[in-house]
Amino acid sequence: MKELMRIEDLKMYFGGLKAIDGFDLTINQGETLGIIGPNGAGKTTLFNAICGVYKPTAGKVFFEGKEVQGTPAHEMAKMGIARTFQISKPLAGLSIFDNVVAAAGVHEYTGISSYFKKSHTKEVEDKVAAVIKRTGLEDVANKKASDVSLGYLRRLEIARALVTEPKLIMLDEPCAGLSNFAINEITELVMKLKAEGQSIVLIEHNLPITMKVCDRITVLSYGKKIAEGTPDEVKNDRGVIEAYLGEEDED
Amino acid sequence: MGSAYLFSILSTAAIFTLLALSLNIITGYAGQAMMGIAAFFGIGAYTAAIITVAGGNFWLALIVAIIVSGIFGVLLGVISLRLQADFLAITTIGINFVMAAVFNSLKITGGTLGLTTTKPMLFGTQMNNTSFFLVTLVFIVIVCLLITKMRHSWFGMALASIENDPGASRSFGINVNKYQILAFTIGTALAGLAGGLYSHRMGFISSSDFAFVVSIEIVSMCVIGGLGTLRGPIFGAVFLSILPEVLRFANDYRELVSALLLVIMVRFMPEGLLGDDSPVWKAIMKLWRKFVPKKKTRADLIVDDYLAEKGGKS
Repeated sequence: MKELMRIEDLKMYFGGLKAIDGFDLTINQGETLGIIGPNGAGKTTLFNAICGVYKPTAGKVFFEGKEVQGTPAHEMAKMGIARTFQISKPLAGLSIFDNVVAAAGVHEYTGISSYFKKSHTKEVEDKVAAVIKRTGLEDVANKKASDVSLGYLRRLEIARALVTEPKLIMLDEPCAGLSNFAINEITELVMKLKAEGQSIVLIEHNLPITMKVCDRITVLSYGKKIAEGTPDEVKNDRGVIEAYLGEEDED
Repeated sequence: MGSAYLFSILSTAAIFTLLALSLNIITGYAGQAMMGIAAFFGIGAYTAAIITVAGGNFWLALIVAIIVSGIFGVLLGVISLRLQADFLAITTIGINFVMAAVFNSLKITGGTLGLTTTKPMLFGTQMNNTSFFLVTLVFIVIVCLLITKMRHSWFGMALASIENDPGASRSFGINVNKYQILAFTIGTALAGLAGGLYSHRMGFISSSDFAFVVSIEIVSMCVIGGLGTLRGPIFGAVFLSILPEVLRFANDYRELVSALLLVIMVRFMPEGLLGDDSPVWKAIMKLWRKFVPKKKTRADLIVDDYLAEKGGKS
């Protein structure tokens, strides 16, 4: 399997707080990798440190063999790393369609010169329409993002990530706070992407879904990796059970 | 009412329209708090006046006024990167007071005495109120066309995206810092143009013309009309410029009236009289749609297709 991203000894400190404390990870091409861990384990911080929202305190991130740690988020997006947000960040004043158009411009935001290029061309609109269909947003395409429910917003996050045609898509808890019905829809969508060969990193609290979708799972606790392996291996790992349920009494 | 008087009011309205449009780029489109636009209005006004007093050409002076204001705008843009909304608002208020004090004390700006300018020449004759108004109107039309083009470009999309959510914008490739600085630069450069026109229409400028209350008046114009639209700031500027002339008794309370309207609008209709979500604008559009049907966007067509397909199935 070809390596897509490699993280070496990544550290993210906030003052004295060691949110990520020496983390290693390899993500292979076409793989679906899950990151799980109890609340406050540092999963979202890890995403932010990888995607350039934060500058890591130390450590290295390689993407397609190139060292990229500390690269600003907008450059990461252009390189082909797309991420979604756990707390949806819709462009509330724009329609769902225009939200996706905005993301479709990932390579167009060049500064002054972007003034001379029209945004809503036929080509862009076709591409956006296809993604809208794929993510099941057709019925709300012309609605303002501020007027649609959370289930749609989560799919909008994925649609915006997909339209950038990413090499790696990083999903931050796409199912959090959704109804069972909406969770099934998102799971189906992720399975579809996986079948198409999309490389995916998934943070998810919902363990049954993570187990079902992921090829490999990494478990994070207090900023450190405590286990890694196939879903079955992780499920039976003693350290993981302890991290989630607490240590067993000696007697 | 003499036509000279009429065109004098219209010229003022036109210059304030340019100012409202300039603030609208920074606050309306890019979503950055800006309470000190009058400082840049002043920088443009003094720059142009200093050049023509020294014997320079008016049109050249206008261009230099735009550039100098824009350069100061870059500086403010860089400062803005480290400041969140409220703090940026306070900082820009401070900048306005500092600049007014600088205009009032520097020798080159005439200190408390201000600067006297002459009306520029156009086609071999000295401009009067009428021709001055028409020239300003031409500038407004050009600026409106440029802004409309911007709204349909990736540049406009970047600003709209930043205005809604900078964090999300970064996640799909927008260099938020760069566009924020560009928005400040373009907005302040446009305020510089308005300043250059103003100093030569008035024939005399002093620091009080560019005081903080003037910034608030420009903010009021945008908010009353509707921030983030093209029609809103234009309407607000014309409305607030002409209102005191129509209601003569209100002239002494000019600032009070605009500030009061600002407070009322922010409380009861933050989208402005002609904002996209305002009931007034919706009613106007409803009436308009009776004569001109809405052209369907691609998004509308997607929804139509979806509903047709769903209807066909069941």
